[in-house]
Amino acid sequence: MISAMYPVAEQVGASRIVKGVSIPHPCGDPSLPAALDAQLRREIVSTALKALEAKVDSSTVFTPKIATGA
Amino acid sequence: MIRVVHILNQFFAGIGGEDKADMAVAVADGAAGAARGLQTLLAERGQVVATIYFGDNYFHEHKDEALAAITAEIEKQKPDVVVAGPAFNAGRYGLACVEICQALSEKLGMRCVTGMEPENPGVGVYRDNHNDQVFLLPTAETASGMARALAALATFACRLAYGEEIGPAAEEGYLPRGIRRLVRVDKSGADRAIAMLLAKIDGKPFTTEIPMEVWDRVEPAAPLADSTAANLAVICTGGVVPWGNPDGFKTYRNTFWRKYNFSEVKSLEPGQWEAVHGGYNVAFMNQNPHYGMPLDALRSLEADGKIGRGKLYPAYYVIPGNQGSPAVMRRVGQEIAADLKKDGVEAVLLVAT
Repeated sequence: MISAMYPVAEQVGASRIVKGVSIPHPCGDPSLPAALDAQLRREIVSTALKALEAKVDSSTVFTPKIATGA
Repeated sequence: MIRVVHILNQFFAGIGGEDKADMAVAVADGAAGAARGLQTLLAERGQVVATIYFGDNYFHEHKDEALAAITAEIEKQKPDVVVAGPAFNAGRYGLACVEICQALSEKLGMRCVTGMEPENPGVGVYRDNHNDQVFLLPTAETASGMARALAALATFACRLAYGEEIGPAAEEGYLPRGIRRLVRVDKSGADRAIAMLLAKIDGKPFTTEIPMEVWDRVEPAAPLADSTAANLAVICTGGVVPWGNPDGFKTYRNTFWRKYNFSEVKSLEPGQWEAVHGGYNVAFMNQNPHYGMPLDALRSLEADGKIGRGKLYPAYYVIPGNQGSPAVMRRVGQEIAADLKKDGVEAVLLVAT
């Protein structure tokens, strides 16, 4: 799952958790230019796809490589 | 002598099994089926004035009619207390018992007691109702525990009918409902907290005053060998829905899910989709629905072969998650999982907020 509230997701025992950016916009960052925002979103979803290929035994948080601006 | 109405399903009323599960609500004068056992245990303390029973399927398929019929009969019989079940591990029956008790308490102010196995799905709804007029006693898993369950129900029913004050769950033996009451104690909170801490350091037993919610533990699914080869679906609890919210989702406490086809959609344009959710500021998502339902990223990954061609499920699932009750969300999760399995989906991306 992708969630900005990943501590809650961990607390309730979700298996594969990808850190979202922020609660009102987990998949992206409206302060970024549109192209970078879309790139960030793709990175978050890619991280989720990789998480699906990872073996996990308990709640595990995956951190996307968050773009730091232009 | 107190007046008791006993509520049973068709099986425990002695009518029949699955072949009779579609029968409507019916009433027998006095004690019928398992209610005879209750009457024997009540002895001179009380009288079962009527037995109400219904088919397990009928109740869930015609809930409004069933609850209306049962409520009308209780109004007529004017019992001092209602006993429902015991339902043991029977899911439909357990849920029905809890929902009937809840309805009778809400509509008629009736105090009710039911019984079932602590794993019965009815227990989650009971906990969630936080109703201080309804009590659920734990029973064995199967009807081999009938005599013991009925004895406990009979005694509890008498106490409710006499209007006795019922103490906390841990002392009285009913399952906890998550209700916190004010009580006067000798020591201040600081003193009690220090005493608890010292007991903990000493390795001595202590009882917390604020028990934490206990969540289901789900074993993580095995990893995918190759995510590009998997049938993939997306679930959104952020509440992104087609513009105009065609299915009328609420901003909180939703009880159903929907799926919306996006097989012909390349990206979610603002003004054609909106976010329905009362738990965060939806302005960002209304401007760019991809923040909650990242279709543009999925399409881009699809174009690059990171998601296999034709592997992305043609619709996404949605229920706005705000204030969702755990019991309802558990059911919704099970329903969505069944739908995903039916269509051969192997992996799911759940985009929450």
